[in-house]
Amino acid sequence: MEDFGEIVQEFLVESHENLDQLDSDLVTLERDPQSRELLSSIFRTIHTIKGTSGFLAFGRLETLAHAGESLLSRLRDGVQPVTQETISTLLAMLDGVRALLATIEETGAEGDVPVEEIIARVNRQIAAAKPAAAKPAAAKPSAGKASRGKAVKTSRKAVKTTAPAETAPAEASAAAPHDAAEPDARRPIGELLVEGGGAVDTDVNWALQKQNAGDERPLGSILLDEGKTNTGAVNEALAAQGRRAVADSSIRVDVDLLDALMNLVGELVLVRNQLVRAADEADDPVIVRTTQRLNLITSELQEGIMKTRMQPIEQLWMKLPRVVRDLSNACGKQVKVRMVGAETELDRSLLEAVKDPLTHLVRNAVDHGIEDLSQRAAAGKPAEGVLTLRAYHESGHVTVEVTDDGSGINVEKVRAKAVERGVVGADEAARMEPREVMMQVFQPGFSTADQVTNVSGRGVGMDVVKTNIERIGGAIDVESTLGEGTTWRLTIPLTLAIIQALTIESGGERYVVPQVAVHELVYIDGAQTRIEYVSGAPVYRLRGKLLPLVRLDTALGRPTSSGDEGVYIVVLQGDGRRFGVVVDRVLNTEEVVVKALTARFKELGVYAGATILGDGKVALILDVASLARRSRLSPASERAVEAEEPATPVGGAVDRLLITTVGARRVAIPLDTVTRLEEFAADKLEWVGNREVVQYRGRILPLVRLSALLGVGMAEQGEAVSAVVYTQAGRSVALVVDTIVDIVESSADERGELDDDGLIGSTVVAQRVTELLDVRRAILAADPHFYTESDSALVEA
Amino acid sequence: MATRQYATFEVEGALFGIGVEHVQEVLSFSEYTTVPLAPATIGGLFNLRGQVIAAVDLRVRLGLPRHAMDGPVMNVILRGDEEPVSLLVDRIGEVIELDADQFEPPPDTLAGPARELVLGTFKVGDRLMLALDVDAAVDTNAPTAA
Repeated sequence: MEDFGEIVQEFLVESHENLDQLDSDLVTLERDPQSRELLSSIFRTIHTIKGTSGFLAFGRLETLAHAGESLLSRLRDGVQPVTQETISTLLAMLDGVRALLATIEETGAEGDVPVEEIIARVNRQIAAAKPAAAKPAAAKPSAGKASRGKAVKTSRKAVKTTAPAETAPAEASAAAPHDAAEPDARRPIGELLVEGGGAVDTDVNWALQKQNAGDERPLGSILLDEGKTNTGAVNEALAAQGRRAVADSSIRVDVDLLDALMNLVGELVLVRNQLVRAADEADDPVIVRTTQRLNLITSELQEGIMKTRMQPIEQLWMKLPRVVRDLSNACGKQVKVRMVGAETELDRSLLEAVKDPLTHLVRNAVDHGIEDLSQRAAAGKPAEGVLTLRAYHESGHVTVEVTDDGSGINVEKVRAKAVERGVVGADEAARMEPREVMMQVFQPGFSTADQVTNVSGRGVGMDVVKTNIERIGGAIDVESTLGEGTTWRLTIPLTLAIIQALTIESGGERYVVPQVAVHELVYIDGAQTRIEYVSGAPVYRLRGKLLPLVRLDTALGRPTSSGDEGVYIVVLQGDGRRFGVVVDRVLNTEEVVVKALTARFKELGVYAGATILGDGKVALILDVASLARRSRLSPASERAVEAEEPATPVGGAVDRLLITTVGARRVAIPLDTVTRLEEFAADKLEWVGNREVVQYRGRILPLVRLSALLGVGMAEQGEAVSAVVYTQAGRSVALVVDTIVDIVESSADERGELDDDGLIGSTVVAQRVTELLDVRRAILAADPHFYTESDSALVEA
Repeated sequence: MATRQYATFEVEGALFGIGVEHVQEVLSFSEYTTVPLAPATIGGLFNLRGQVIAAVDLRVRLGLPRHAMDGPVMNVILRGDEEPVSLLVDRIGEVIELDADQFEPPPDTLAGPARELVLGTFKVGDRLMLALDVDAAVDTNAPTAA
């Protein structure tokens, strides 16, 4: 009985996967009614479900699948054409199967899910095409019964073979080609052997009987062991089965087990962090080396475990063509679904979390985005609208886009609506940037639709989409061009469990900010960089633009811990706006394991979770979106800010940055001014007065150690030092760094441009906060006359 | 006669007890992370073998001044419905076995916030043990008298 339960369980899992594939196949079939491969594949899948349900004595399910199979066999044999109506009927049949499976899963029995109406509908389809349709339909069952035993066996193979196909980049409408390869993949090995002349069919039948009698060896092995065939023939047949090798090399693993492993790895990462810290202090080369290896292995293990939980986003997308089809039919529109990057993988828990928001965006795009036929004709667009789903990896995140080629969102309409709803004042609205205006569509209850349809807006609005995406540490963004279409962009972390985070300190407590939200760090020295007040609200002038500030201590209702000097501003992006958080200290960036915060603190809204730091202490993870809302200025100060705001030039130039490490810090140096990268032997360094120099190309080259300049501890003196050499007008200086890590490209508007008066900004490179070196100041520290000498030399000459 | 084991502890000199089946473990801990903006009854968060545990300050629940949290504080860690939760107490007592028929409803003289948290009393030697209502004690969203 136990075994029987397992069979049912397996049947349910496989059938669910099959149904999703069928949904998508049927929608594809509607577009390409001539595809025999597709029809055969659909037919086979239904046939398998029917066979297995009969075997497991699920009578209602069998009857329903049988009805569907009858209709499909008529389509396959060309007795009846594929029409929109037949596809709708078949989809309804699938829904019935789905409902039955759900009931079986829940209660273990079929219950009283109504299937008669669906069966009647299928039969009406058959009857409508040809009144005397009863015969071929009735002829089918015997064939179905005869092959039932085999159907159970092949079902597993059939499911597995679809898996590799799913990872292929595919447009929905291009699903047919990979199905074309499947007939071979699904064919039994015996059949292939007989066909290839490797065995005679009586032997194969005999071996099959042995299998049925309980012999657990594969068919090929039985034949081989009994000398009925040869190795070459079996290998050939296996090769002909194509993807079989893949199917055999993959196993099903319980998700709970993966989750447990993931938790363990999370713990390991924690211990690793603690050990790395301890090893730094231990000053024992053996421990340091061992720790480094442990560090590497942990990272690899973490990556490996995370990979096991990764699934292609196609798993999710597969359901969408059906949604689009049903919806566009209901709205009287024609919409084609394109998929780009369906193979992009993300953590399964995230896949689940993104499902509803994505479905909502797709529904919304079909309902409100894409115009109806007459409007499209008037706009000179093709009748068929295109909905593009695009997914790609980008700097440790997955970006998922839903793009329609519809009428776009009218920014001015949104602006007017926001004022009408009293969300913003008319003055404020008039000054808002288009991007900020667009963010209004994520406000609760916002709709620019002229008429409310019953399709979208069923409970979930864009605000819910946004909340759901933010809950998993993601972000949503919208871009729209009037008349051309709209793109909704979701940025999702690769995994929920472990994130890159910046640790900061405020009021003696440490907090963690997800690195994804951090744009740059600014040190406030009170002189060159200052906090200013506009109508009492703190702001910072970041490259000429006023940045609203939130004091973390105040925001958390704690006593003010520091003044306006010697503090840091963490520039964050959240809730569609950029703002700064004033903190006492910036500590470091590291990978942290996100722990869900107890439900007690949910309503506070300020925290996104908790984590355990390297020293074992708990730190709270700040919710950036919630802080962003606190940074909203009062209308009065908003106006004052606006009045002061000069026009900001938009930079987009791409610079190359040299990434180096200095102590524990990462320092970026603009590469365009660098002359050479050099390594000097440590024993070649000499002192002249209080200055360190090295002989270089027959000259004396002054050195400046960035560790000294930046006031960080010097790394262990190695046998060689890495230096960045600058040469100008015959003068050279070298800046000594600990290691040179990488050269990256960074666009100028993503980071702080350095003021000549010495502002040190920072940027995020490869997930790590990287400080930008004020090259001029560093060079002047090495050689105060580096820039001036050449000029004065000219004067003197 | 049906007996039940109680884990006992003291707060401000009063003896309290909780059925041992609710108690996961008892330990002293000194590193807590404060949770700004959280209800006053939250003493802080701490790391119990990789798990983040919220500690509810029983003193605050009883309307007393909170624990200073600047040194070791005793935690009675309870198996919650979804996650463990800790009760911060002054001192840990023994596990004692009590007969169910010694149970008495809370005396009328028991007033204040404690009244809401106490199911009843047992006589233990010459002292009175107050049996704590676990769910009420860790309910951090309840209005506090403090």
